[in-house]
Amino acid sequence: MSFLSDSFHLFVRWMKKLVRNPILIFFSLFQPVIFLVLFTQLFSKFGQLLGPGVSYTVFATAGIVLQNAFSSAFQSGTAVVDDIKSGFLTKMLATPVNRSAILFGRIMSDAFRVVAQTVIILALAYPLGVFPETGVIGYVLIILTVAFFGLAWSGISLALGLKTKSAETVFGIAGFLTFPLLFMSTALVGQKVMPDWMQTVSSYNPISFAVNAIRNLITGCTPDLSNCAIGYDWSTILQAYGVIALIGIITLGATLYLFRKVVS
Amino acid sequence: MTGIIDVSQLVKTYGDGTKAVKGISFNVSEGEFFGFLGPNGAGKSTTIKILTTLLRKTSGSATVAGFDVETDGPKIRKMIGVQNQDTVVDEDLTGRENMILQGEMHQMHGQALRERVDQLFKIVDLVDAADKRAGFYSGGMKKRLDLATTLVHDPKILFLDEPTTGLDPQSRAAIWAYLKRLNEQGITIFITTQYLEEVDRLCRRLAIVDLGEIVAQGSPAELKQEIGADSISLGFENTTVNGGETREKARQVLEKRFDGVSNIVNSDIGLTVYAKNGSFLVPELVRAFDEDGIRLSSITVSSPTLDDVFLKHTGKRIRVEEVSSANYRGMFARRRR
Repeated sequence: MSFLSDSFHLFVRWMKKLVRNPILIFFSLFQPVIFLVLFTQLFSKFGQLLGPGVSYTVFATAGIVLQNAFSSAFQSGTAVVDDIKSGFLTKMLATPVNRSAILFGRIMSDAFRVVAQTVIILALAYPLGVFPETGVIGYVLIILTVAFFGLAWSGISLALGLKTKSAETVFGIAGFLTFPLLFMSTALVGQKVMPDWMQTVSSYNPISFAVNAIRNLITGCTPDLSNCAIGYDWSTILQAYGVIALIGIITLGATLYLFRKVVS
Repeated sequence: MTGIIDVSQLVKTYGDGTKAVKGISFNVSEGEFFGFLGPNGAGKSTTIKILTTLLRKTSGSATVAGFDVETDGPKIRKMIGVQNQDTVVDEDLTGRENMILQGEMHQMHGQALRERVDQLFKIVDLVDAADKRAGFYSGGMKKRLDLATTLVHDPKILFLDEPTTGLDPQSRAAIWAYLKRLNEQGITIFITTQYLEEVDRLCRRLAIVDLGEIVAQGSPAELKQEIGADSISLGFENTTVNGGETREKARQVLEKRFDGVSNIVNSDIGLTVYAKNGSFLVPELVRAFDEDGIRLSSITVSSPTLDDVFLKHTGKRIRVEEVSSANYRGMFARRRR
């Protein structure tokens, strides 16, 4: 089936481009690593506010992993803008290549990249005392969650890129959204230390859902850290998947719609 | 309706109401080297985009290799190679990877693809650079690689939009030589270009479009013959003379005193007029202008060229000619092309 093989070939193209521009990986890993190494030290005493014996590094790793997924997924749209601007998209469209594969190859490469970066972050976090209470399956589930999260968010970036055809706009909007969304979520602090209004906002923030699931897999605690004997907190995990799926359907649907318009 | 490209009453109106193509009809036979010329904004690129299934037509009909552009897009895409005006190669990939990827998008793979790619690198003289990243290629090399990628799947028809624009003369000559060879091997070539000398030499037939309509079509020889007269290009020293526009004064002189002169057109340096046996007219012209105080900076006589054909039908030169004292060289000389 040409959809799968075409997607694979275009996925390989993106992978080659990524590996040959390692500076891109460096830049998107730089920030999460700084957070992991410095930010968590800066706030190391903060853990005690969240609960007795809580290591802030362990607590924040979930947020840092998500932040990384969030910011690298946002680069997807700029790559598509580059292809539109350079004429490479037109060149592809003049061949019999499967239309959906053009998008799918890109999205898969985004997911793969987010996974690779997550593995690097988790590997760096390991010597800092961060390893999932839920064990190897926990690692696998974390990576899966992050991959799906990356897929869903790269949809926003792709849709923006296709709509505005401007890399600057995509970058601008990404920068505009990243920190407010991150800070008003449970990524870096627990809800109980937030002001009331922010607690409300963070309960609806999609990032909180994904962070809570990953944090559960790392700590084996419920999101409010009240019960640390629970192990897999399936209701939190499934909620996260539900929210990610919803975002994915909306953003990838919009992307597909906009792509059809560009293609025809 | 036997051509490999058949276009009939083709219309394209863009969403904002711009009528880019206003009912053009033409056909290209299999194996032809067909030139599609026109000034900027004439509708050339729009037509190419419709024929290569990248843009939907508004009305009319167009078939490529016997398939309808509206309904048989996928079948057409298998048969055609398309080169855009801008050079498009992925600069992060090597030349070979660009070629392989293009082949893969045409559902080719394995040994057959690798052999085809090797063969094409030989044809476009890029064997030594095949495994270097395209980002390190020179402009001419990128263009050759781009051309080679359009050939991977052995297309029946090649659509080329300004394939040699912006290249140095050597690279340009090389590309035209490849195109000639490809055409000799039976590939139909549909090309837009600004280089009329190459068109004259290579295109068997051409169409000139202007403002979305075809204003002339035929073989280069037919079109030149149609003009039937030498062109005399007049350059004036001053744009005004005796308080009036030199061009207008000169035009009046020509209309009053020269019966044999036809079709007076404005050019960048002054006027272009057409006359049989133009060179015999030169002394008289000089004298007549002198009497009226119009001073010539240059006068050049040439037998009809495609440039003249183009000028006659579109009122424009295909490219801006340089105005310089070099035009003196042409004084009283008869240029043959």
